Amino acid sequence: MASRALAYCMRSFARSTARLNHGNAFTRYACAPLVSKQRALGVTPCSQRTRWTELVRISGPSVHLCRHYGDLPPLTLGNIEERVMYVLKLYDKISPEKLQTSSHFMKDLGLDSLDQVEIIMAMEDEFGFEIPDAEAEKLMTPAEIVQYIADKKDVYE
Amino acid sequence: MMASSAATRSGAAAFKAVKPIFSRDLSEARRRARELYRAWYREVPNTVHMFQLDITPQQGHEKLREMFDRNRHVTDPRVIDLLVIKGKMELEETIKVWKQKTHIMRFFHQTEAQRPDDFLSKFYQGHDA
Repeated sequence: MASRALAYCMRSFARSTARLNHGNAFTRYACAPLVSKQRALGVTPCSQRTRWTELVRISGPSVHLCRHYGDLPPLTLGNIEERVMYVLKLYDKISPEKLQTSSHFMKDLGLDSLDQVEIIMAMEDEFGFEIPDAEAEKLMTPAEIVQYIADKKDVYE
Repeated sequence: MMASSAATRSGAAAFKAVKPIFSRDLSEARRRARELYRAWYREVPNTVHMFQLDITPQQGHEKLREMFDRNRHVTDPRVIDLLVIKGKMELEETIKVWKQKTHIMRFFHQTEAQRPDDFLSKFYQGHDA
């Protein structure tokens, strides 16, 4: 019984590292929390994952842990920040050279409250969920926006 | 006596307590104005499509910003509330297509002819000076 559980753990480790080799970063992040679930026996820590890359493929019924089934790739803090900065660069009232993660909309970039409302609406369209105005009026820098979205979407690292 | 009555008048004007219409202070009134701006901003492309207007949505957004900028200087919460109520009525009439194309395009109608100030425009008007 313990050996079967161990084999199952090895299978999921091998699968995740196989995907590590020829998958993109998103599947790796998606596999990481799922792989940690299999650590019921406390088999190996994450740093030893790379040692399993030489393992022979284990055949048998496989549980696909990294399928998205039409969903978007899972959100990470870096991904959220990328998308937020991309949307801000597309906004025509902001010059892309002066834009940084910590630049205040009103003080550094010289926008006004209606511009800030437009920016928050663009974020709503990008990430697909409503941001109520009571909380939106406090988001004054891109870093705060990233933090808020990470809080709402339960993204942590 | 005049100075003291003027002082009391200005003092009374600064701290008069009135019954609010919707919002109790300026921040709440500004929040209502922002909500109205959001609703209008989302509605502009649908309006352009529904009424088959000849403007682009960007022009619609600019006109919306211009209308909001006209009342930017207002600080009285009750005045802001009334303006928000009027804006909501306009929005309802636009969404439910109670208006027609001509009513929407009245926003884009120039209200007055600009008086000429450079020499050539004045000359065309007939002033030889």
